[in-house]
Amino acid sequence: MESLPVLLGLAVLAPLASFFVILLLGPSLGHGGKSAAYVAIGAIVLAGLLSFISLGIWLANHWPEAPHDDHHAAASEHAGDAHEGESQNAKSAHDSHASEGVAGDSHAASHHGSTPPKVSGEYYVLAKIGDLQLSISYYIDSLTIAMFCMVTLIASCIHVYATGYMHDELHDITDHEAHTADGEHVHRPGRFHRFFQYLSLFCFSMLGLVLAGNVLMVFVFWELVGICSYFLIGFYIERKSATNAANKAFIVNRVGDFGMIIGLMAIWSSLGTFAFDELFEAVRPGPSHVLQTPDGMVYASAQDRVRDIARELGPDATPDQLETAIQERATTENWRNVGPDGKAPGYGYWLLIVAGVGIFCGCVGKSAQFPLHVWLPDAMEGPTPVSALVHSATMVAAGVYLAARFYPFFAPEVLFVIAIVGAITLFMAATIAITATDIKRVLAYSTISQLGYMMLAIGMGGWLAGVMHLVTHAFFKSLLFLCSGSVIHAVHTNEMPEMGGLIKKMPWTAYTMLIGCLAIAGAGIPFVIGLSGYYSKDAILEQGHLFMTTNPGWGAVFFWAAAGGAAITAFYMFRMWYMTFLGKPRNHHRYDHAHESPWSMVAPLVILAVFAVGVAWPIPFSSLRLSTLLEQARPAGGLNDMQGVLVNMVWPNEHDSHAASHVIPATLIAFGTALSGILLATMFYVWQPHLAGEVRQQFSPIHRFLVNKWWFDELYDWIFVKPTHVVSGVAARFDRNWIDWIVDGSAKVTRRFAYGWEWLADRVVVDGFVNVFAGWMYSLGLATRRVQRGNLREYVLFILVGALVLFVVISIFRVTYAGGS
Amino acid sequence: MTAALFLSLIVFLPAAGALLLAFIPSKSHNALRGFSLAVTAVVFLLTLGFFMPGWQGTFDTAQAGMQLAFNKAWIPSFNIYYFLGVDGISLPLVLLTSFISLLAMGASWSITKHVKGYCILFLLLETGMLGVFVALDFFLFYVFWEVMLLPMYFLIGVWGGPRKEYAAIKFFLYTLVGSVLMLIALLMLYFNSDLREIALASDLFENPQAAVSWEELHLSPQVTERVTTMLQPHADQFVAIRAGEVDMPGQSVHTFNLLAMAAIGQHTTQYDDALLFNWTLQEWAFLLLLIGFIIKVPSVPFHTWLPDAHVEAPTPISMILAGVLLKMGGYGIIRICYPICPEGGYNWMWLVCILGVVSMVYGAFAALAQKDFKRMVAYSSVSHMGYVMLGLGVWSVGMVGGLNPFNSDYWNMGIKGAMFQMIAHGISSAGMFFMVGVVYDRVHHRNLDEFGGLFGRMPVYTALAIGIFFAGLGLPGLCGFIGEVLVVLSVWNFSKLLAVISAGVVILTAGYILWAIQRVYLGPEYKGPHGEALTPMTPREVSIGAVLLIFAILLGVFPYHTVLRYMDATIDRQVDDLTEWTERVKHPSLEAQPEQQARATVPPTVAVVLAPVAPANVVQNGAVDDASR
Repeated sequence: MESLPVLLGLAVLAPLASFFVILLLGPSLGHGGKSAAYVAIGAIVLAGLLSFISLGIWLANHWPEAPHDDHHAAASEHAGDAHEGESQNAKSAHDSHASEGVAGDSHAASHHGSTPPKVSGEYYVLAKIGDLQLSISYYIDSLTIAMFCMVTLIASCIHVYATGYMHDELHDITDHEAHTADGEHVHRPGRFHRFFQYLSLFCFSMLGLVLAGNVLMVFVFWELVGICSYFLIGFYIERKSATNAANKAFIVNRVGDFGMIIGLMAIWSSLGTFAFDELFEAVRPGPSHVLQTPDGMVYASAQDRVRDIARELGPDATPDQLETAIQERATTENWRNVGPDGKAPGYGYWLLIVAGVGIFCGCVGKSAQFPLHVWLPDAMEGPTPVSALVHSATMVAAGVYLAARFYPFFAPEVLFVIAIVGAITLFMAATIAITATDIKRVLAYSTISQLGYMMLAIGMGGWLAGVMHLVTHAFFKSLLFLCSGSVIHAVHTNEMPEMGGLIKKMPWTAYTMLIGCLAIAGAGIPFVIGLSGYYSKDAILEQGHLFMTTNPGWGAVFFWAAAGGAAITAFYMFRMWYMTFLGKPRNHHRYDHAHESPWSMVAPLVILAVFAVGVAWPIPFSSLRLSTLLEQARPAGGLNDMQGVLVNMVWPNEHDSHAASHVIPATLIAFGTALSGILLATMFYVWQPHLAGEVRQQFSPIHRFLVNKWWFDELYDWIFVKPTHVVSGVAARFDRNWIDWIVDGSAKVTRRFAYGWEWLADRVVVDGFVNVFAGWMYSLGLATRRVQRGNLREYVLFILVGALVLFVVISIFRVTYAGGS
Repeated sequence: MTAALFLSLIVFLPAAGALLLAFIPSKSHNALRGFSLAVTAVVFLLTLGFFMPGWQGTFDTAQAGMQLAFNKAWIPSFNIYYFLGVDGISLPLVLLTSFISLLAMGASWSITKHVKGYCILFLLLETGMLGVFVALDFFLFYVFWEVMLLPMYFLIGVWGGPRKEYAAIKFFLYTLVGSVLMLIALLMLYFNSDLREIALASDLFENPQAAVSWEELHLSPQVTERVTTMLQPHADQFVAIRAGEVDMPGQSVHTFNLLAMAAIGQHTTQYDDALLFNWTLQEWAFLLLLIGFIIKVPSVPFHTWLPDAHVEAPTPISMILAGVLLKMGGYGIIRICYPICPEGGYNWMWLVCILGVVSMVYGAFAALAQKDFKRMVAYSSVSHMGYVMLGLGVWSVGMVGGLNPFNSDYWNMGIKGAMFQMIAHGISSAGMFFMVGVVYDRVHHRNLDEFGGLFGRMPVYTALAIGIFFAGLGLPGLCGFIGEVLVVLSVWNFSKLLAVISAGVVILTAGYILWAIQRVYLGPEYKGPHGEALTPMTPREVSIGAVLLIFAILLGVFPYHTVLRYMDATIDRQVDDLTEWTERVKHPSLEAQPEQQARATVPPTVAVVLAPVAPANVVQNGAVDDASR
């Protein structure tokens, strides 16, 4: 077990190494950059091998138990292991805290209270501030390992597939969808190696996200997968639509991240940690692991009370005394359960909700949930392998992954929000998918809808159902996308009305895609066996049924949204398949040029089809299967019924959904809806093809509403984008027109003043005085000039008179002032 | 090499280089540039000496106080000393200055006019900047501040773009206004300072309750001797003097020593006289200094000189301006405003934080509307420096509202975030301006709407530029992220409203950066004039861009090991000192006069009082139950 952090750490770093190799050597990697693909494939396959070795090590230490039997002993054994793992990594700065948590847990032996087995610790420190610490850390449990295996497996398949799909990029390309100003197509060199470079960076980021041991690190990799998604969506940088879609994806995700940062702030400011195990211990302390408002949040919210206590104790109290007093008072007055107005919710409960909803906002952005779903359909501008890997199987599922990982932290009210968002999303996206004609957009809306399913499951307390669907969906949806890519590769269009009858030209693609459609519809023989979707979707419906029995009102909404969504899903998936592969070719030119894709593309389809069929199957003669493996990661206390505080609802224990009273109706309804959806599609598009057009005309307002995607883009443009530009324009003009006006104006005024002052003070006053004085002197000179007439006798007379006057003056002076001695 | 020689060499080597440049003929441009580059490189290597272990110049990360400090008489009759030193706050900035100066000199090959004058002024500028960061005498600090101002004025005014005179004068006048305010505050603080009182409060004489270490003030021996001879004869009366029963013997000894001023501000009442509006001298001094410094940061509403100066300044000067000069404002606030005027800092904390947030939002919005590439980057600087203000402002978090147990970790985090943001922004903004300059040198325009398609024309340049712009965007793994996240996370306990607004800025930042990238680098073709001039980057340009990007990545991936660990001890110490001051001085006075709180808690609705008790110290209720079972 000690080797897991090293192995998985290397699995994360291998694609990063590949990224740097391709970045620096790029085109010079042999065969016009073709070797870049080998580098990237080597890295991801290596990561895959390391992941599966880790899975082996994990299974050797924690063989999953069979469901529905007595396994108390096993559970306690796991708990013990977990502490071993934890204490190995006791070097963390939160040493005392961690060991306290262990001491608290070690009594936990009861089934419902056991903590899941895990290995957690840190790699290195990002920042240390007193007792606070941010670090790069890891948290490994069976969910982590399952995600690693899923991501690396699908990514390996897609890497291989992309060598075929992106083949054109090996040489110069004429991009028919990008035009220069004079209307010519853009000619550009191929960017084969760039594509693999981005893919490698993405794999690094995605694996890092899954490995993350604290929420901040999740956020770090969250942004990194976002930026990879940005690069990959905008891969065809010459196309305006692609770069717009890339910007839209990143910015809409940032809106979600904005909420996530608020959640992070609420957590960090009150609890002082981001580490998963410490957060979970704070919010669900052992041994009962029942959700409660963490002490830090209680005290943070009860500041007024804390201040009162501090005042009572006076200024001389030590912090320790104060702390003790606060704790005593909090316990006796029950701050946790009784709020400031003497009622529930108690202090800090709102903070817990803000934290949970904030984190969920991030998930809404990343997983394209309502109301931030608008970026994902546009993201289909990227090459199809990207859509398969990033925008269906892995990155967009990261939101669901985080919701599942953070599940123990969610208060019932947060789960309620999650369920509502999930239900709206799954229904809305499914309806839009009905009318989409672009094959990739059908799949994109289908992805949104399926992600809504997962969120709904988690929001209803169906943790395992949601996570199971995450894994199974990854396989069949990536399969569907790759099949669509194979079709697009053959006919060079995304528009289904241009296709038709392709099953004859490309049977491998057609049949593997049929498997994908059946899997997503949840096809199977009820109660016996089915494709992977059968297990996960039925589990969601079972939980929905259970939820409906405990909470009739909202439960019914959720359950029927899920069931109705299932019918619509089956309908639009088969609509897509029929329009593409059956019927008569609608565009003969394209049909004639169509051909089955090369082996490098078909082989991944077959592999993924195998997994889409069997990934959830039980392995014969053993208790190992997807559900039991994931069950090991179920959060501590995840099997307690939860009563809402602000909403009067109960979140039922997921194990209860396995009772026959829920399984039988849910399975039958799932089967019925899927079958009816498929039949309806068959009727509209195979048996009575003219019906579709008639219905479209009959319901044209609804059709317009759906074709325009509920007018979300237009709405957001009006209420967000345009006002932002207006405000930014105002800000810029304010600078130029007002602040600079004042600055320049004051400069001008100063200069005017200087001119004026110069005129008044210097020219008028000073110069004036000088000039006047000079004038006097001048006129005096003029006046006395007349005296000088050159007459010698007059001069002698003047000298005489002058001397006499001087004599008299001096005499007077001497007599009066000098004392006349 | 002694500490004195080492620090002086770092500061004055560029000036000496400028002197030598006078002997190189004006015609030999490459010799002039090469020599200047060599000088900046030597200075950079010298600053690396701080990290070389085992000699007098080694910087000790564990030590919080001033290191390599020395104090020599300069104009002793006015108590002005040549007093230099480095600590965890100034060291990273000194390194940043020498590093950015080196790169900016490397980017100066595009300057062809009056090369000799340019190089001389550039090197003088470097001396001024380095001097500001290591000067510990307030007067000396002021002198270096002005020394840096003049070369900058000429560098913009002579080598700038079409409106260079306007921009240069605007820059000069703005900064001069700030200098004047600083000068007023400086004189106020000087004439109210008296070392005798702090000497009695310190361990200079036998003092059981010494709050200040005299040694750590690094006063020159003459001053110590003067104070000692004045006070020693009255040693038997010290208790009475301290209690205020007996007058202080001798005449007051004023000082410009920043450390001594900080000790006076925190441990005596010399700066507490009431002045105009009944605000204390501390509050007035804080306000004057703050305005002086935020003009440099710049913060809204004193920011409009920045876009003009940047747009007109030549590329390397923009790099210096954004990379180093703006940091002087932040440095001044953290080094001078808060330690010397804690009372002012406490009472004006809302002003600082709100200005920070307003700058962040306003700068981001304004950046979104710009058509000029360089103006856009300049406004992004306004926005990013807002984080610095905010981080420094939440310094006071948890101090609001009287007697409260508080945890100073969160404001410690804010200030570390602000410091990191300064370093990170120094790298990313210098990089962004360099990237704009590279393309401007080729096509001679900066109209964002007339670019496009550079990805195809200049792939290496585009890759480097996108990397650096993402550092500005605050992408994790690059340097911009760490500073932003540390600041933003520290705000919640100060004010939830400001925290939410500051978190919202991430959306706008993504908006203007991505939109600019789309318009400049992506798209089918280049749309503007002189398309034929879009040649690949030269090796010199590549190396500058690559070095900046590598540092952006290093700082983003290993923030603790590259930056934070050098500043930890000093900032911890400063925060502890001010926490102690708050508990000792501010809280009792607030308890005594509740109405005085008014200014401290301007928007009462958003004032959040308490940093919560750390969960680690709290016994979990569940655990108690468990034990009792």
